[in-house]
Amino acid sequence: MNTNLKISNVTKIYPGCVANDNVSLEFNSGKIYALLGENGAGKSTLVKILSGVIIPDEGEIYLNKNNLKLNSPLDAKKNDIGMVFQHFNLFETLSVFENLIIDSDEKRESLREKIDSIMKKYNFSIDLDIPVLNLSAGQKQKVEIIRCLIRNPKVLIMDEPTSVLTEQETSELFLSLKKFSEEGILIIYITHKLKEVMQLCDEVAVMRRGKLVSVSEIKNENIESLANKMVGQNLKTIKKKKAKTSSDQLIKITNLNFTSDDPFETNLMDINFSVNRGECFGIAGISGNGQSELFQVLSGEIISEKEAIEFNNNYIGDLNPQERREYLMAFSPEDRLEQAAIPQMKIFENVALNNFKSSNFFNNGLINENKIKEHSKKIISDFNVNTDNIELKSQFLSGGNLQKLIIGRELITSPDLLICFNPTWGLDVGAINYIHETLIKINEQNKSIILISTDTDELLKLSDKISVIHKGKLSKIMNAEEVTSEKLGILMGGAN
Amino acid sequence: MIKIVKRDQPSRAIFFFTPVLAIFLTLVSGGLIFFILGFKPFEALKFFFIIPIADKYGFSELLLKATPLCLIAIGLSFCFKSNNWNIGAEGQLTFGAIVSGGVALLFYEQEGFYILPIVILAGAIGGMLYASIPAILKTYFNTNEILVSLMLVYVSKLILDYLVVGPWSNPEGFNFPETRQFSDSAKLPLLFEGLRIHAGIFLALAAVIVSWFVFYKTYLGFQMKVSGFSLKTAKYAGYKGKKMIILVFLISGACAGLAGVGEITGPIGQLHREISPDYGFTAIIVAFLGRLHPVGIIFASLVVAITYLGAETAQIFMQIPKYTGQVFQGMILFFLLASDYLLFFKIKFIGSKK
Repeated sequence: MNTNLKISNVTKIYPGCVANDNVSLEFNSGKIYALLGENGAGKSTLVKILSGVIIPDEGEIYLNKNNLKLNSPLDAKKNDIGMVFQHFNLFETLSVFENLIIDSDEKRESLREKIDSIMKKYNFSIDLDIPVLNLSAGQKQKVEIIRCLIRNPKVLIMDEPTSVLTEQETSELFLSLKKFSEEGILIIYITHKLKEVMQLCDEVAVMRRGKLVSVSEIKNENIESLANKMVGQNLKTIKKKKAKTSSDQLIKITNLNFTSDDPFETNLMDINFSVNRGECFGIAGISGNGQSELFQVLSGEIISEKEAIEFNNNYIGDLNPQERREYLMAFSPEDRLEQAAIPQMKIFENVALNNFKSSNFFNNGLINENKIKEHSKKIISDFNVNTDNIELKSQFLSGGNLQKLIIGRELITSPDLLICFNPTWGLDVGAINYIHETLIKINEQNKSIILISTDTDELLKLSDKISVIHKGKLSKIMNAEEVTSEKLGILMGGAN
Repeated sequence: MIKIVKRDQPSRAIFFFTPVLAIFLTLVSGGLIFFILGFKPFEALKFFFIIPIADKYGFSELLLKATPLCLIAIGLSFCFKSNNWNIGAEGQLTFGAIVSGGVALLFYEQEGFYILPIVILAGAIGGMLYASIPAILKTYFNTNEILVSLMLVYVSKLILDYLVVGPWSNPEGFNFPETRQFSDSAKLPLLFEGLRIHAGIFLALAAVIVSWFVFYKTYLGFQMKVSGFSLKTAKYAGYKGKKMIILVFLISGACAGLAGVGEITGPIGQLHREISPDYGFTAIIVAFLGRLHPVGIIFASLVVAITYLGAETAQIFMQIPKYTGQVFQGMILFFLLASDYLLFFKIKFIGSKK
């Protein structure tokens, strides 16, 4: 029996961003479909609409010509749409069997038989009676898949399923998925990993900034062409004037490693690079490849070995962010609202977060409010923050103005090195230009920047040297003139 | 029709209004409970909340009960403001009382102006020592401070039990579970003849003033505020998280320990089994009812102290078990948490026009 799933003119708007802009797609069983796109491209929103987690503002979904009204995940289940999320939804302390029967109203005995036959059919070997916490990530995922299979789904959606799997587990998963597809289950595979798309899928739909960019057969595509579609053709080549790069080395990272206890974090492996004065070093990559971890190691939120980071001829790997600031480093994290600033606090209080000894914000443990306010006024006028009220809570600033405030706060100490992570993420064009100009100005003053960004255009525009981070490893370091966005796209997808 | 709408931002007026609303709802529900039990609701509430503080003695009793609640809640607000969940103040109070009581017993039959300050200091140190256990376990071994601090409460109570029936029990005390009476020099002076209110109230007032200063005027207060909003931001700003965790636990332990000192060196003047009617737990309610604000905590401690007094009056005049007091305390917390919903949502009444 053939399954036909049709998404028709689906639109979902969040305040300040169109997550899905009039998306229409059609899927037929017997094929494996890839939904490809960078983070924030809108693929997760689309999938959540299909699984009933989000209700679209406009548009319809048809399964075998039936118009589906998916108001909750339960509706999706009832309509035979199964979904395996990136993060597992399992009760760690319950047994595998208990996890599987938890949302079923069938009898235990008949379910047990059913589960056994599913496991036999697909060669899964999992002990049903041990607690889930004893399972590996790959096995947990199989439990999630079995949970979907119990309901005989017509559609199975996998959201970034390989992000926590080993190579071996990944190839096992692919075998199973191909088998499901042969059995007539329609499979939609969400990913930003190009190699996997080429290996597994038959057709690929690419999304960018909420829009469907293309639908094509895999045999007509290659990694390069997909990378282009995903990142977006870059025709603009506005570049900053080539700075006279000195050979005066400012920061040197040597054999930096970081191993995380958290399976959802990326380990950093053998990071080596150096940045000279007046230089902008760009680090490209698809998000989730270790950028956040690298930023934290560089800022001192994660402490590393003392000798791994040499700054201005001092070893500073074991210092915390505040101590590193004293050596004239500054940091602008990715998350403006949850890390770089506190929305519930006033503007001048947020300014005090960059506590620098010579700024005298705090004397003998007491708050020097006048000094902080004086500084805040200067930042607001120097960096064009669109308000004159420093008592305003920063939640009332727009994203662009908040980012100007943060960059201004970090730069007011005139640091030798600014490390920023997606500094223009989610901003409007005007604010983006302003931030870019500011960053170029920093380089002109012979100060350095490390720019970690998922925006390839931005990197090509601002960087002198570029490297790509993939699975916690840096690619070779290239001069920005030699790099094209195609080349970056390929490296970002993990090819050599 | 009624519609619930999310607020754009929590309103400041609502922030201070919800505790009042919670108290009002508690009174209404309390009246209802009395009514179901067969009492006249207004009369019962009068016995509970007005009669106990109608005279000079009653008012002194109110301050006597409010003092430890206020002191402990001030200490707890340091922890809660910075996202540290110390719920073992009762244990820190008990241990503070044990240490200061032990010191007071050392000076038994001695007189001197220096004795009382040493006894008070010993209590604060005792509380700090006891609070440092969950703090150190949390910072260095990643344990959960809620569980550790709570379980330590029972440990301290058992230690106290052992001491007052065993090694420290009064040799002339006919095996009553209590120690000797402390000498007068080890007791907090009573403020008025015939009333039980003692100098401990000044400790509480001092704590209020100091905490206000620390919260709003010092770097430590600023760091606590930032950590309370976002631990990620605190880490990014480079605050020394571990040091701060230990510091706020020590402050909170010291306050609880001082409350313990007040309980044993006040009118009672000896260690015994039941030194605190769960002040350490009730103070958690006081801290939140007072919105973790020093002035708010003063008012909250007075309100909650009435429930202790009211329960006793109600037991005497209406033969209701005194545990009714705990019912009222529970209701206050319940309604406070429930009405906090209004901080983030507003209720809109949409007229149904036909």
